[in-house]
Amino acid sequence: MSLAIHYDSTFDGFLSAVFEIYRQHLDVSCFVAERTYEAEREAATDLFAQPFHVETSEDSANRLRRAITNAASKDVLNLLETCFRSEDANIEMNILAYLRKLFAGLDPNYGRNPSSLEMIPLITIARSVRREMDNMYGMVRFNKAPDGMYIAEIEPKYDILEMIVGHFRCRYPNGTWAIIDVKRGFGVYYENYRTHFVTVPDPSYISAHAPPDEFTRMWKSYYDTMAIKERLNPRLLRRCLPVRYWKHLPERSLSNYSAKNIGNVVPPQLPSEVAKSNASASIRLK
Amino acid sequence: MDLRDKLNILGDAAKYDVSCSSSGSKRNSPKGGMGCGHSSGICHTWSADGRCISLLKVLFSNACKYDCAYCVNRRSNDIPRATFTPKELINLTLEFYRRNYIEGLFLSSAVIGSPDYTMELLIKVAKELRLVHHFGGYIHLKAIPGASSRLLFEAGLYADRSSVNIEIPSDKQLQYLAPEKNFASIYRPMNFLAERKLEYKTDKSKYSPKFLPAGQSTQMIVGASGETDFQILTLSAGFYKQQQMKRVYFSGYVPINADKRLPVITTKPPLLREHRLYQADWLMRFYKFEYNEILDEKNPFLDPDLDPKVMWALRHPECFPVDLQSADYEMILRVPGIGVRSAQLIVSGRRYSKIRFEHLKKMGVVLKRAKYFIYNSDVPRELHKLYPEMIRPLLIAGKPKNDQLDLFDAMPAALPAPAKAQPSANALPIANN
Repeated sequence: MSLAIHYDSTFDGFLSAVFEIYRQHLDVSCFVAERTYEAEREAATDLFAQPFHVETSEDSANRLRRAITNAASKDVLNLLETCFRSEDANIEMNILAYLRKLFAGLDPNYGRNPSSLEMIPLITIARSVRREMDNMYGMVRFNKAPDGMYIAEIEPKYDILEMIVGHFRCRYPNGTWAIIDVKRGFGVYYENYRTHFVTVPDPSYISAHAPPDEFTRMWKSYYDTMAIKERLNPRLLRRCLPVRYWKHLPERSLSNYSAKNIGNVVPPQLPSEVAKSNASASIRLK
Repeated sequence: MDLRDKLNILGDAAKYDVSCSSSGSKRNSPKGGMGCGHSSGICHTWSADGRCISLLKVLFSNACKYDCAYCVNRRSNDIPRATFTPKELINLTLEFYRRNYIEGLFLSSAVIGSPDYTMELLIKVAKELRLVHHFGGYIHLKAIPGASSRLLFEAGLYADRSSVNIEIPSDKQLQYLAPEKNFASIYRPMNFLAERKLEYKTDKSKYSPKFLPAGQSTQMIVGASGETDFQILTLSAGFYKQQQMKRVYFSGYVPINADKRLPVITTKPPLLREHRLYQADWLMRFYKFEYNEILDEKNPFLDPDLDPKVMWALRHPECFPVDLQSADYEMILRVPGIGVRSAQLIVSGRRYSKIRFEHLKKMGVVLKRAKYFIYNSDVPRELHKLYPEMIRPLLIAGKPKNDQLDLFDAMPAALPAPAKAQPSANALPIANN
């Protein structure tokens, strides 16, 4: 009888589940993470599999961690954790397939081989998780609240909030700020050199607290002037800056906002446009 | 004029500078301040033309006393002019940085008064950011040609990166287009900064102050004057070697001014040529190619149809096919379709198992191109019997045609045929598809 393993969607929970699979010789057909939000791609549930719930146990998770470190290395363990954050539909089964091969012990060098057929897809997934993490360093946008706190909302594809907190702690050590993952309903709050992870049931309430200000509008108009008209390339833009991030970037989402709120301000005369129109005019005169 | 208008004018005047990177400097947040340098650099957003914006790139002033033909800010142009005050600019930088819009400041300026006076203003901004506001973010300062060594040295103490733009890749053309400039005036600050940086580098103590931790960069305009790609690559290879430049940027010429010394104002920016030059630049920086391997006197232009790596491979059939199981890392890097990451994966994985086609596919190797150049048991034998002249059309045929169909192409040749944009001297004989 094949089982659908239910666990609490944490990495520790997943490791405990794998531990139980080995201990009880379970026949697994799929994993079901019990999340409070909807993941990007939900795994296809096996209708005929029997649900089997595994309690998270730190003890067994740590035992499995030690075993992976011994059989492969610490880097591999980190890589698996990074992959796990992708919340991909089949990521649990992919990791399990890798671990099965690793612990089977048929090939003593398996843990060190980065080009095995089970490892390459994991490397690719980890790479895209890390890429989003790197992108997020740049794409978090803070708004200033009246009380001096800086608040940002993000909606990353992968669960990477915990991975980027260190960067912002190093960047704004003296400030008070919060980053909220709107999709997953939790956030990090930093004050007095301490970080706290908090659940945020209603993010819209918080963003109403910190509306865009004058600097946001200046940033938006600066952003618009930076594009060189002769080189416009919407495809390249969408490749570098995927549309799914635009919602939380004022420079892409604020376009109508500024027009509505400031009224009809004459757009500034830009040097490049003036120069170009003068040049064309002088040619026409000739 | 309010701050917003100033920012727009001076941002617009600075946008033709293509340098965008914020990499190469690792700084911790100073005590009591904010900001850190991330060694691989961070892109914060991309503008509508697909170029990344990571620094607040502005001019301090655009009221220039020079008259360079290619520049928006030349004194003979009748355009709106503006100048920041240091306080305005510092406040803007800090507020943008707090909201995580930018990685730091890229400060350049038109020459106002004298080069020394301009340089002093730039240094004043950087110094105040670092010492008064304890700002640890990235600062890129332009070195103004003609500024005194004392000022250049001071700039190096506060900035992460400095740059002097050579703009036109030959001395004669530069003096023709920019009467107030010549190669000597541009090389002098470059060499001075490179030498000082070397001195500081020998002193490895962690307490010694930093001097231009992210090095120098420069940029050349492509397509404004008649240089060949070979000249451009030779020059940039020299910069990498002698001045220890971190980057040399290419900027496809965007016509702004009507000037009889320049291409007509309706010319489109040579985007494809710029792209090919960057590809060649990548080959020099990451793929261990020498500039004279990519091009030579006889073939002075890059091929618009194929990338320079494929071109090199087709010119050197004696080096292929490469056996992935035993070849050197350097040789695997030279196979078209294999990048740095896949080459590393191949080299570290082949110790444990045979590299097969399905491995390569999963690694992200572009087999469409690589299959002609590798020796592997999964590759059909017939592919190795092909001559370079036969492979070339196969590689080109796989590409979708980018350019829009011309209305007049289909008409009989009653009209004079338009002149070809770029003669490709090194094109091998191919059947016209």
